[in-house]
Amino acid sequence: MLMIRKSQEKFIRLLVLFIAILLPWVLGAIYLNKANMDEALDSLIAVNFKKDTLPRVDHSKYRTLNKEFKTPQEVTEACLSCHNMTAQEVMQSSHWKWSREYINEKGDTIQLGKKNIINNFCMGVTSNEARCTSCHIGYGWKDENFDFADSRNIDCIVCHDQTGTYKKFPTDAGYPASEAKIFDGQTYQVPDYTLIAQNIGSPTNQNCGACHFVGGGGNNVKHGDIANELNHVSHEVDVHMGIDGGDMDCVDCHKTERHNISGNLYSIASIDTNRVSCESCHSEAPHKNKILEQHSAKIACQTCHIPSFAKVSATKMFWDWSTAGQFNEDGSMRVEKDSMGNITYHSKKGSFQWETDVVPSYQWFNGEAQHYVLGDEIDTSQSVKLNTLLGEYKDKNSKIIPVKVHEAKQIYDDVNNTMVLPHLFGKDSSAYWKNFDWQKAATMGMKEAELEYSGSYDFIHTVMYWPVNHMVAPKEESLQCIDCHSRDSRLADLTDFYLPGRDRSISLDFMGFAMIILSTLGVVIHGFLRIIKKK
Amino acid sequence: MKKSTYIYRAFERFWHWSQALLIFFLALTGFEIHGTFQLFGFENVVRWHDTAAWAFLILIIFAIFWHFATGEWKQYIPTTKYITAQFSYYISGIFKGAPHPTHKTIYNKFNPIQRFIYLGLKLLVIPLQVLTGFIYMFYIYPNNPIHESGLSIIAIIHTLGAFALLAFVIAHVYLTTTGDTPLSSIIAMITGWEVIDLDEKEERQKNLQHAVDDSAAGYYRIDSDGIIQDVNEAWLKMYHCKDRTMVIGKHFSHTRDERNLKELEELVNSVMHGEMITGRPVNRKTFDGMEGRHLLSANPIVEEGKITGMEGFIMDIKEHDELMEHMYHTVRNSGAGYYRLNKDGIIMDVNEAWLKLYKYDHKDEVVGKHFALTRRPEDVEGLQQSVDKVLNGKVISGKLEIRKCKDNTTGKHILSANPFCIGNKPMGMEGFILDITHLYDKPQDK
Repeated sequence: MLMIRKSQEKFIRLLVLFIAILLPWVLGAIYLNKANMDEALDSLIAVNFKKDTLPRVDHSKYRTLNKEFKTPQEVTEACLSCHNMTAQEVMQSSHWKWSREYINEKGDTIQLGKKNIINNFCMGVTSNEARCTSCHIGYGWKDENFDFADSRNIDCIVCHDQTGTYKKFPTDAGYPASEAKIFDGQTYQVPDYTLIAQNIGSPTNQNCGACHFVGGGGNNVKHGDIANELNHVSHEVDVHMGIDGGDMDCVDCHKTERHNISGNLYSIASIDTNRVSCESCHSEAPHKNKILEQHSAKIACQTCHIPSFAKVSATKMFWDWSTAGQFNEDGSMRVEKDSMGNITYHSKKGSFQWETDVVPSYQWFNGEAQHYVLGDEIDTSQSVKLNTLLGEYKDKNSKIIPVKVHEAKQIYDDVNNTMVLPHLFGKDSSAYWKNFDWQKAATMGMKEAELEYSGSYDFIHTVMYWPVNHMVAPKEESLQCIDCHSRDSRLADLTDFYLPGRDRSISLDFMGFAMIILSTLGVVIHGFLRIIKKK
Repeated sequence: MKKSTYIYRAFERFWHWSQALLIFFLALTGFEIHGTFQLFGFENVVRWHDTAAWAFLILIIFAIFWHFATGEWKQYIPTTKYITAQFSYYISGIFKGAPHPTHKTIYNKFNPIQRFIYLGLKLLVIPLQVLTGFIYMFYIYPNNPIHESGLSIIAIIHTLGAFALLAFVIAHVYLTTTGDTPLSSIIAMITGWEVIDLDEKEERQKNLQHAVDDSAAGYYRIDSDGIIQDVNEAWLKMYHCKDRTMVIGKHFSHTRDERNLKELEELVNSVMHGEMITGRPVNRKTFDGMEGRHLLSANPIVEEGKITGMEGFIMDIKEHDELMEHMYHTVRNSGAGYYRLNKDGIIMDVNEAWLKLYKYDHKDEVVGKHFALTRRPEDVEGLQQSVDKVLNGKVISGKLEIRKCKDNTTGKHILSANPFCIGNKPMGMEGFILDITHLYDKPQDK
């Protein structure tokens, strides 16, 4: 009897001990499970987001607009006859000026922007105005004599047309066709100004996209994250603009006050001002998960939420100008395309590389950028960075952002070591696209830009960094921890900090695992010896 | 001496196994975070690792409290004594079947290597892991002013600690098999019981303490100034005192009335000079003013070669004890000879008068001998019959006997005999003899 009672008591004691050891684990598991559930219930909360879809004014009722317009300037005059303060606002904007203030390396404040910067697509505006300024919100910027003070030259309707019929002619310095004309197989009709003037409204995606989706000479060439398809995609491509998603317009985020449109792209912009941020709608702390939330101190939203860009159409990743000027045997233009229809070689422009569903590069960025300013000397021993995104781990304001890196081989003066801005477009004898002579194009282009040219040129590798901000994926497709916290981390290039899961001290790991293996071996040998010595 | 002993208490086992599980779990999740392998998913393991870290912190706080509350922390005081012996045991002795150089006891659970390693874990590795771990957890740059080197130093130290702990676990698990049987140490850590050596000195002290506390004898201790330092329950009872504080700190003179005080002072004085008293009947004065009598023993307390006090026991003498004491003295001093035999007829005790009658010089000459020694051969049979009767419960009073003395002369005496019993079983015979030789001899002489 006593024995049974004793062994029962012993069993109960062991059971209690067992439960005491396991109970905290069970509680911990329940706690963690509950935390997971909370997160699953997390729903999107947008703050400060209002969309006013009702038109404030019916322009068709205005007598001023109920007439026939002969020139686009007449439309502008009609607009300004009522909106008589608006021209001043527009003419202050970078959409008009194509420049902003920039502090150069010497510390001087200069005007720098689209009008005088060099990129590694079609390189520069100067001497090529009539082609480039088909995306200017004005009429007639065909050379340096364009009058930026004449409000009649403002193109109101390119942004405000709601009919979708207004198009600028590609080579006419911002003018729409004055008579039916064909360019690149497409017919451009004279716009119905009266219809357009009576159907004016807040800019839609099509208005913005007419220029911004096709920068660089074609759909999605430049940015990679904004393209024509954003006019009609599902939310899988872009949760904001997808028609089954937010169905939002550009200006819903790019809030505009008196024609000052918020948002900078640091391929051209340089100062941390007037930026659009995710936080303005999504609040500073949108995650329930505290650890995720803490990441936002150093990781921009875009980094995780834009796992890839150029999801539908391809974007240009590499442009080799040095191969331009080759023709078919019969002397005709040589044009090569890949299976997707993307041009991979063109006699006028050289070779291209395209990519779809591109995994971004990642960079530290604090909102400030530097640019190559025409005339600056370059270091020919390395790739020329036409723009530099500033930031590093130690900088409190820096966050990791996703970036499209566009590379190119382009012309430079190999005596003066300066980038060359060639004269590409024009009907004259020196335009490269007419005569395919780099020497003449360079000489003319540099002369127009009032820069020195030695007469000797070569090609050099250049890089541009294009921050990626669009094509935000549904949250299920956001980056997972492992995308960065692993040996083959997406952040492999950012080596100025310790990233758990990616980084380790290889020598410590080697010693540590050697120690584990040796102690295991030691134990096995010791045990083995004990067994055989016993026998 | 080996004995199955309850060596690991419940909390200790809970702590040990919880810590073992936590270390295993933290290593598993930690090395996934480290990028060594992919198993449960990074987000999960980070969450689990953090939660386990909090659990570990709580466990450590309880364990620290437990170690200090129970005094078990002393088990970890490092010593170099026998450390080389312990090393050479693991390196060679263990293969030859040599005995463990150190013995596990409840007061000394760890061998010297264990002491060093465990102390190192407790003071160095685990605190380092906790510290770097929590810095790691709360190092949310840039909300944090110290950021020059980033996480790398902290991460490297934390990884180093993890490797150290892993190596420890491997060696530790293996070394558990070096007990009496391969599994005995692990089973001990599960059930709490293990067959281990007892520290005899500690055991005796513990038992002695119990004996003194629970003894029917009263225990006392006084210092060199005669101030009472300690008494036990039995002492208090004999002195009719319920409150120990009424006794402790008082002079011993409170335990005697004036008549008996001088005697005690002399006794104390002699003990303080090194004498030992083995049993002296004395009269006490109880705290409610009554009188009592007890046997007192006393011996000096020696510390570092100097007598610093006196301690001893008192045994109460009740009234009937006193009577027996009188009888003892009466028997001892009477002219009658007293004897006692056991049931085999062996002489157990005699008194002075008996020795005189039989003309022996010393007790030792007869004690342990058969009674046949005391009779002429022809008389032995008669005495044997008497002994048999007495052992069967008869009492003999006044039987004439002829004794044979040491010098082979004879004498006559009257013998009384009665059985002496332990419980109700006769264990032997005792009685008195009264000499009557002269009653017969004198007329003969005339």
